[in-house]
Amino acid sequence: MIRRALPILLLCAYLAMAGPFAVYMKDRPVIVKLGYLPDASVLKGISGEYGNMVSAFSVVKVLFYFGTLFEKFNQQILVPPDYYNMFKTLEKAVLLDPYNMDAYYFMQSAFTWEVGHASDVNRVLEYGMKYRAWDYQLPFFAGFNSAYFLKDYSTAAAYMKRAAELSGNPLFTKLSARYFYEAGRTDLGLLFLNNMIKKEKDKQVRAVYETRKKALIGVREITAAVSRFRERNNRLPEDLRELTATGFLERIPSDPYGGIFYLDEKGIVRSTSKFAFASKNKKSVSSPEMN
Amino acid sequence: MGLSVFFPVLFRWLLRDRVIHAVLGVALFLVFLIPFFSTFSMRQVQELALTLSLSSISLVLLFLTVLLGGTSIWREVERRYTTSVLSLPVSRAGFVMGKFFGIAVFLVLCAVVLSLVCSIVLHFLVQAYPGERPILWQNYFLAVFADCFKYIMLTAVAVLLSSICTSYFLPLFGTVAVYFAGNASQEVHEYISGDFGNTLSAPLKLILNGVYYILPNLSAFNLKVQAIYGLPHDTSTYLYVPAYGIVYTGILLWLAVWRFSKRELP
Repeated sequence: MIRRALPILLLCAYLAMAGPFAVYMKDRPVIVKLGYLPDASVLKGISGEYGNMVSAFSVVKVLFYFGTLFEKFNQQILVPPDYYNMFKTLEKAVLLDPYNMDAYYFMQSAFTWEVGHASDVNRVLEYGMKYRAWDYQLPFFAGFNSAYFLKDYSTAAAYMKRAAELSGNPLFTKLSARYFYEAGRTDLGLLFLNNMIKKEKDKQVRAVYETRKKALIGVREITAAVSRFRERNNRLPEDLRELTATGFLERIPSDPYGGIFYLDEKGIVRSTSKFAFASKNKKSVSSPEMN
Repeated sequence: MGLSVFFPVLFRWLLRDRVIHAVLGVALFLVFLIPFFSTFSMRQVQELALTLSLSSISLVLLFLTVLLGGTSIWREVERRYTTSVLSLPVSRAGFVMGKFFGIAVFLVLCAVVLSLVCSIVLHFLVQAYPGERPILWQNYFLAVFADCFKYIMLTAVAVLLSSICTSYFLPLFGTVAVYFAGNASQEVHEYISGDFGNTLSAPLKLILNGVYYILPNLSAFNLKVQAIYGLPHDTSTYLYVPAYGIVYTGILLWLAVWRFSKRELP
């Protein structure tokens, strides 16, 4: 009797706990989900000849984690990403395999627009340029970051010149010239995003770029309306409603990050979302090994 | 006399072994999963496929080396096969060398089969996801060859440990330990050669440096980065790596033969 009932009992027990167990696994803290990677020098010794593979899997893990957060954001569930641990994991991946393009690419995608760590990302990109000496993408990313986020136009021009030399693409030469003034910042951002979207095959990363692009199109629309208003009335509008009331703006665009657009005291377009999926992590994330 | 007798016997036995068939079957199954896993990469599908291919081949060769090398001689001694076999007009050296060459040739055969299957899979994957740089096939096969060389060297370690011991413990775990230590020794050596080394006492530094030269330097045989990213090889690689491998393996085999010749068999 017991012999017959035991497998059925075990099966029922498994089915009963499968659901709660899956929920428990899903809700584990981020450090458990991302996993803990030891210090890069230790990891290098332990992983030995499998360093490239460990590096690749670390990046895939971060990408999966970020992908699930983005899905939650689309379902109106706000979970602040643990950018610090994500960055540390990617940094170790790069130290294990300094040629790993996925790591550089994902850093550029996730740590510049969202968290404003363009200078940390540029330090890592600079490290990568020593190895991927043939690759125009790293100086292109660094050049864009220098101009768009750090407003260091001379450094940006130097990076873009390097990208132009490596790629032979005249677009980068033109871009380097554009970085000497700030006026076209939004246009510059759109140009960069269009270039990235065109090449992106990963659905989640592409969606992140599309969201950013939609926000920038909104900013560009409002900025153009503010300029027209200023030209006609010789003053800044009180707020965005004044723009719609006077017919300069047909309707206030929606912020894809869930915030509301507004004008600051200098007439610059801002959003209550700060154009981020969740609150910013201001902690410095770059390690001295990358310097 | 001996080598020509034991080598074909062992080789035929390996080709018929069901455990080996299972290991190779699983390996081939994993190879066909590589295209699926590689598409997780955002910008380097080709590079990830190469990483997975080379790592899979390496892992299978490691399994086979530990499995075959670690169980090679002590088992025959324990089961007293050696008592009857060595009563025939064959030398002990021939017995040890026959075992070693049987495993080595089998490893080469496995590496050839796996690398060819992987290269076919990679060829079709690259058609769908072309990389920024073309695959340098000579680098790919050179990386597999270097890996194979490394595991032949590790087989010599296993045979040496097997010729000393009477149980599976040291040959099996000793080989695995030497594998990890041999992979990490270069990193540790470079680390203590830097600023950290100044904080160590002179005798400790001397011991660590001694261990570095005694252990097999397996990281020298890791030519995967050049294969994955299509990077050029340093010309001295072609000279130093095989020369080091041949000399080190020769020393290990000499020690194994010498130790086994002195050993009292039941």
